[in-house]
Amino acid sequence: MTALERPPRAPRMHLGSEAQPPTGKYQWIYLWELPIRVMHWTAAVAIVVLATTGLYIGKPFFMTGGEASSHYLMGWVRFLHFSAAAVLVTTGIVRVYWLFAGNRFERLAALFPIRPRDWANMVKQVKYYLMIKPGDAPQYLGHNPLQQLSYTGIYALTAVMVVTGFAMYGQSNPDGMFYRLFQWLVPLLGGIQIVRFIHHVSTWIFLIFIPIHVYLAMRGDVMERSGTISSIISGGRFVRSDVKYVDE
Amino acid sequence: MYFPSSRPWADGETLSEHLERRGVSRRDFLKFCGEMTAVLGLSSAMTPKVAAALAAMKRPSVIWLQLQECTGCVESVLRTGNPSIGDLVLDVISLDYQHTIMAAAGHQAENALQQAMKDNKGEYLLLVTGSIPLNDDGIYLTIGGRTAKEILVDAAKGAKAVIAVGACAHWGSVQAARPNPTGAVGVSEVVTDKPVVNIAGCPPISDVVTATIVHYLTFGNIPELDYDGRPRFAYSSRIHDQCPRRANFDAGQFVEEFDDEAARKGYCLYQVGCKGPATFSPCPIFLWNSGTSWPIGAGHPCIGCTERHFWDTMSPFYKRMPDVAGFGIESKVDLIGAALAAGAVAGVAAHATATGVHQIRERRRERELPIVNQPPSGKKE
Repeated sequence: MTALERPPRAPRMHLGSEAQPPTGKYQWIYLWELPIRVMHWTAAVAIVVLATTGLYIGKPFFMTGGEASSHYLMGWVRFLHFSAAAVLVTTGIVRVYWLFAGNRFERLAALFPIRPRDWANMVKQVKYYLMIKPGDAPQYLGHNPLQQLSYTGIYALTAVMVVTGFAMYGQSNPDGMFYRLFQWLVPLLGGIQIVRFIHHVSTWIFLIFIPIHVYLAMRGDVMERSGTISSIISGGRFVRSDVKYVDE
Repeated sequence: MYFPSSRPWADGETLSEHLERRGVSRRDFLKFCGEMTAVLGLSSAMTPKVAAALAAMKRPSVIWLQLQECTGCVESVLRTGNPSIGDLVLDVISLDYQHTIMAAAGHQAENALQQAMKDNKGEYLLLVTGSIPLNDDGIYLTIGGRTAKEILVDAAKGAKAVIAVGACAHWGSVQAARPNPTGAVGVSEVVTDKPVVNIAGCPPISDVVTATIVHYLTFGNIPELDYDGRPRFAYSSRIHDQCPRRANFDAGQFVEEFDDEAARKGYCLYQVGCKGPATFSPCPIFLWNSGTSWPIGAGHPCIGCTERHFWDTMSPFYKRMPDVAGFGIESKVDLIGAALAAGAVAGVAAHATATGVHQIRERRRERELPIVNQPPSGKKE
């Protein structure tokens, strides 16, 4: 009676002290190379800074008193916002480069769940999360189709944020580079207030994404012992040798 | 102060001769030329050139069409409390056809328009205030039995340059706000075969109109325009970046309600909906009413009237963000966003709880069933 005879599905796991320690043959698989990991954590910090400062710029929730000359609160908040934006854009450039230089889990093709198999598995993944068929989740080494779709969506949203952000930023200097590069967007979207509105609403989409993302990553580790969180720190994770992975 | 005279600028008379006849000193004239050079963003070394060109100028023919509009632009441009030489130039050159201020009426006025267009074909300046309604064959505005579109196309044909004055002529203004029942459009959407200068604003500052005309008369061409056809000398900088309350913005000092302490101290109007950060206009520099004041100077937020579609995109005027169409007037982006983000956190917590409940249930069921294929606890392979 060994683990190798078990059917290829995730074993039931128990929470906390009652959890069975993982058994069976495992192998370590390298998924996320250094640029991706550095990009992930740098972008995470940048996004937190951007969302916080962005919400302050959108609605300044505390103020200063006294003479204007002795304070520079909004000035510093905007400076932080623009600096963090520059950092985020840099991570974006690294990510785009790694779409072509990375391994098969990081390449452009890994961003899009386009095969029919992916869509069937996405339905299974949703059923798994909704606890309709909890034992039936498809096993992927890299991202499952639902992850592919949501992370690609976040990349697209980041691009929207960057472009709308630069369109607003450029307006302070109509002779500057950013005005020339991004001003086309303003008449296209119907005015700078619409650009501002899209930038503002997108912030909230990030703020909705973050708790779900963190929860599901932690849940994967707790429920499936998938090593997800480890993989974005060390680059790899231990996977069961006896399970057939969809993207092997 | 120079008041309009009953003695018009005669044909063949130069501007310097005319101004002398009107009692304007050479000194005042040069001051005016210096101001205009500065407004146009030219080097002060250009002042003599501007002065020479204007002094030698013969009376130019200007036709001023008023289409679908409220006449506020004409009032703003022509009826200042203290007419300057600039106003006088506008006054004296706009004699050929301007149906608000001209003495003629009815067929006489129409004949004056036709005559001016025929006599100065290819030479006259065309100033337009007001939008052009296109829906239902343009029946929403007719003058002398002709629609606004017919009148404009006809007049633009022989014009040397077309200057659209005010938000209506720029893009349609209030009558073009959603749902735009008359199909009102700006001049540049009807006159497409020659460049149209848009003097944006509802109403625009008269100095910008005067300076554009001075540029045209001095150099024989229209000034450099931005992406929306507005002269860059006036519309190349945001109100926000020229605002005297900018220091309060940078310091984080904001008016939250119109009668609060911060409002009395003259803090930044950002939180009560000021659209200065979205608006390109020279208001803080040129000021209004003969340099007396301007909206933000009087404690009122900018409504962004020099920007296209400002009635739709800059409103609500006293809020930072546009309303979400179809969500009702009570909805606010931040409220929806915060509710959804809180919903995501609550959903995640509920999901974690459900997972735990599910686990407990599974465990109970497992206890009743024989354990198959389960390696003994703690045993390592």
